[in-house]
Amino acid sequence: MSETPNETAGDVHKPVVQKNKKVVRRPDVDTLFSINPDGSRNVIHPADVKGRFQRYKHLLWIVLIGVYLALPWIRIGEHPALLIDIEARHFYLFGYTFNAQDFWFAFFFVTGLGFTLFVVAGLWGRLWCGYACPQTVFLEGVFRRIERLIEGNAQARAKLDKAPLKAKFWRRGLKMVVFFLIAALISHSFVGYFMPTEVLLEAMTSSPGLHPTAFVFVLVATLILFVNFTWFREQLCIVVCPYGRLQGALYDADTLLVGYDNKRGEPRGPAAEKGSGDCVDCYRCVAVCPTGIDIRNGTQLECVGCANCIDACDDVMDKLGRDRGLVRYDSQRGFETGKRRFVRGRVFLYGALMLLGMTMFTLALTRRHAFEARLVRGPGRPYSVEQESVHNIFNLQLINKRSGTRTFHIEQLGPEGARVVIARTDVELESLGTVRVPVHFYVPDADFKAGLRAELRVTCTDDPDGELERVATAPLLGPSR
Amino acid sequence: MTAEVRAHTFDGIQEFDNRLPNWWLWTFYLACIFSIGYWVHYHTLGTGDVPYESYLKEQRAAALALEEEMKKNPVTDERLEQLAANEAFVTEGQALFQQNCVLCHRENGGAGKDENGAWGTGANLTDAKWIYGSEPTTIYQTILKGRNADPEIGSFGGMQSWEHLGIGSVLRLTAYVMTLKGSDVAGGKPPEEYAKKQ
Repeated sequence: MSETPNETAGDVHKPVVQKNKKVVRRPDVDTLFSINPDGSRNVIHPADVKGRFQRYKHLLWIVLIGVYLALPWIRIGEHPALLIDIEARHFYLFGYTFNAQDFWFAFFFVTGLGFTLFVVAGLWGRLWCGYACPQTVFLEGVFRRIERLIEGNAQARAKLDKAPLKAKFWRRGLKMVVFFLIAALISHSFVGYFMPTEVLLEAMTSSPGLHPTAFVFVLVATLILFVNFTWFREQLCIVVCPYGRLQGALYDADTLLVGYDNKRGEPRGPAAEKGSGDCVDCYRCVAVCPTGIDIRNGTQLECVGCANCIDACDDVMDKLGRDRGLVRYDSQRGFETGKRRFVRGRVFLYGALMLLGMTMFTLALTRRHAFEARLVRGPGRPYSVEQESVHNIFNLQLINKRSGTRTFHIEQLGPEGARVVIARTDVELESLGTVRVPVHFYVPDADFKAGLRAELRVTCTDDPDGELERVATAPLLGPSR
Repeated sequence: MTAEVRAHTFDGIQEFDNRLPNWWLWTFYLACIFSIGYWVHYHTLGTGDVPYESYLKEQRAAALALEEEMKKNPVTDERLEQLAANEAFVTEGQALFQQNCVLCHRENGGAGKDENGAWGTGANLTDAKWIYGSEPTTIYQTILKGRNADPEIGSFGGMQSWEHLGIGSVLRLTAYVMTLKGSDVAGGKPPEEYAKKQ
């Protein structure tokens, strides 16, 4: 995917150029720009850029960050809107309550989401990466902005890198402290999705010894986030993130990607030169790239689709009075022939799988019973014969799946002629509450035969959906005849 | 500084020889060293507890703690009398009774007849007849360990052990049953019925 028809033009693609007698390294397709030949990190300080894609991104990020911080605190009814309480094995999802039994729904939910990502990637490439991924949202939207505020623009930051410790101690130190605090905020918010917020607040204001696991988790998470956003940055996107690598398999010649129109731009030359293409080799697209590539070399692994280069080049084109779009969103086919095709087999396939996942999840959700009622054989002997009755002991397991308290009534249903003793016939259960009610079945010896089943009717009387009923049944055991 | 290409080709495919990022190499080396330390600590020397061992340790510690607690606060008649006078304690005992004991002893503890006309399988806890004895500590033992059926003394059904609910629950149940003693509810099972096989 990194081949462009123009790759053979020798000079302009030299990875190292002479600039005012200083050797400056430029991105190429054969090496990773953010790593030096000796293996050390080549820290990238992307230049500032303004443009319409930046505006779209910034608006979106305000919404996304707002949702991330606010969602653990939002309640629907008496439960949080989104809480994955692993310790209690209760899961709350926008009004629905699940227990561990229902966890299999998660398979369809997650695969549905996964295939949605596939569809998006097949159509629009790494749209997730550049616009919605937390790495980008927090790094570009929060951390780099603060870095710019404290340390200055890209050149100033690069200078500060080379400055001696004494010169940069306070500035860098202040930045580190602020970064650490923000990382702590992010990791505490994260815990709010897995721990009820009241417990989280209580844990935050009491001794770490009371909630050791949560404390260690938040500490480690804060450190990891701190190291990630201060130093690791684009290495995560390039080396660690599997989704980035997956993209290559999901693209085809019609996927809309960030790309350079080399038909229009080549051969490069100064603006005044006649016969040269639109590209004036200003290197703005390279300067603003957060992953350190030259988009003019073609689609590359490192490109996260942030569209900084599009805005940068459009800006330069505007100043030169030329058309925008020298670097733009287009497909490989679009760049070569000008045609764009959205409708294709790949999109249908991914779309179908996405719909399958989402449909299965919705079906499973809506067809779920309001409560579980199961007859489970009591431990110990399978049956006993007492006073000319065959005696079977069961436990009725009741689980309330609704998000509010419900009352249940238990009554005998079968078999005919059996004496049934139910420990409690009316039970009140809180949401996701469970109870075991002992139930004894006595079948007269004379009436007992193989194949008889114990049956109980369990009714929920106070559900807003009306009277709900389930039958719990189990085989009755007895002497073989 | 063009990238170096290795001499060997794989079916015509060439390979670069770029250096791996130092951070990658060092996390890898550290992971290797850590894994050696981990292996030696947990498996070679056994200085670390594998999950089964740490579980056993926790169990032993809990059993020891319980033993200490029982030594400090032995279950005596006096102590049980005190607990039976504690209203909150008795109320909790009543809740436990309702959940666990009513199947055989009925809701009022009298083991009376149900709607089908059958006596409760258990004993009448409210009358004067106590098969195993009515001292507080005896009641405690009966609930804790259960009793075997013994036709000689007039008990055919036996009594289930409730130790699995925990000592705290058994103490609360004992306190509640002590308050039932002597209440002689109407329709309770008469002593003659004990002697009949249930």
